[in-house]
Amino acid sequence: MTTTLYHGEPNGPSLSVLAALFAKGVPADLRHIDLARGERHGLPFAKDSLVAMSIEGEGPVLVVDGEAMTDSVFIACYLDDVGSGPGLRPADPYERWETMRWCRQMIERTAPAAAYLGCRANPPKPDAALLGRIASVDLRARWDEIAAGRFSEDKLADSRAKIAQAVEKTEDQLAGRDWLMGEFSIADLESYAWLAGMVRLVPAAFATKPRTKSWLERTKAQPAIARALALARTPDPAASWSVGPEINRWG
Amino acid sequence: MPSVTLYHWEPNANSGKPMLALMEKGVAFESRYLDLLSFDQHKPEYLAINPQGTIPAMLHGRRVLTESTAIMEYVDEAFEGPRLMPEDPRDRWRVRWWMKFMDQWLGPSFSMIGWSVFVGPAVRARDPQELEGAIERIPLPERRTAWRKAISGNFGADEMQESRRRVALGIRMLEEELGKRPWLASNAYSLADINGFNLAYALPVTQPTLSNDELTPNILRWLRAIYARPASKACWAMSRTSMGKRVAILEQPHIGAGQPA
Repeated sequence: MTTTLYHGEPNGPSLSVLAALFAKGVPADLRHIDLARGERHGLPFAKDSLVAMSIEGEGPVLVVDGEAMTDSVFIACYLDDVGSGPGLRPADPYERWETMRWCRQMIERTAPAAAYLGCRANPPKPDAALLGRIASVDLRARWDEIAAGRFSEDKLADSRAKIAQAVEKTEDQLAGRDWLMGEFSIADLESYAWLAGMVRLVPAAFATKPRTKSWLERTKAQPAIARALALARTPDPAASWSVGPEINRWG
Repeated sequence: MPSVTLYHWEPNANSGKPMLALMEKGVAFESRYLDLLSFDQHKPEYLAINPQGTIPAMLHGRRVLTESTAIMEYVDEAFEGPRLMPEDPRDRWRVRWWMKFMDQWLGPSFSMIGWSVFVGPAVRARDPQELEGAIERIPLPERRTAWRKAISGNFGADEMQESRRRVALGIRMLEEELGKRPWLASNAYSLADINGFNLAYALPVTQPTLSNDELTPNILRWLRAIYARPASKACWAMSRTSMGKRVAILEQPHIGAGQPA
């Protein structure tokens, strides 16, 4: 079996997948690409529909025996299945439900908000020719807005509120425990990957959240996360953003 | 064994997902039908079970589970019966990819159209003050916005256009994917098919010019194969409105190219 991971700077979805890969000891060829330049769209399998239409936006791609896989939470579930060592999801079905539900809320509500705020603060610099290759009309529209610096005040305010809600939930969830689901899991990886860069952008959300702050430190020190962060090519990977999932169209 | 109670609306979209998963597994459950059009899901009795006021919700013993797709994975893992997730890890990835794509990208476009032609007109006839009161009781702000838009018929022309674009593209993607294998995400029937059927069972009714035996033979083969399963028949027999009863179109042996609605 040949496994290749195309990933960006260790932040957001690239960070959670890299950390899952290391935590589970899955051998893979690692290829660094610049997601903020749009380099994913220059890859040979970029037009495969499960890559082109991934609603995660500019995330990593894991290629296993020719099949290109996207969406960080589900790639992490795959790595959890095929890798070795302690599970990254609880064994009990109810706790697994909690984990999947937590991750779902993270990718549906928090990720779009974090990517929007992150791209505002650290605008990605797309290559025009690569943008021209984007197959998804709605992803292209998000790129165009961000590349032109058009950010809506409503969406910015909504995004800050969503980050504050996510941190609130995280703080509640960590009452009496070190990790979100009891044991270190995909929920920690995914939540850390989206929230770590938000501390500086939405500081008020973290101001009175001591459990969340120490959880961020604890997570950052986990060997798999530390190893992923060591792959950074920029001095501050938590400031590296590219276009994320869309903000809910229903309002 | 702790008992199972499911709070649901029609076998359709999110409600139908855990209904059909439970029935495929052969798990007996107590059904609590909530009338979405009477806002049963925002009444105090239900908010005591699920404070977010979203349907469906499942009680297993004293545990409350929400989020239909996550409930389905729980149902598959917590009960005996046929496995509804494939064994192969890559197949499982594909199942989850498609479920997310349908839940977050394609489904909302279907429902925007569905709400504008079905839910909106159905509730618009009610007393405006009663309606406003009902909307005020909705816990999630984005659901309040959605209901206001549906009731007032206020989806913008560009929003509807975008939803129609996504539905057309989604249909093409489903047709292409179902040309690769018997079921949507793997060679075995899975949660992706249960999810997809709940989204697409009425396609030949709602999108007759985009989905029919001539244009999308793989989708029609797939829908009929799912509808032929005893669990599907039993599930859709629980429909109380014209919504779920649209499934009857799949009993037609051939559905030709339709006329624009």
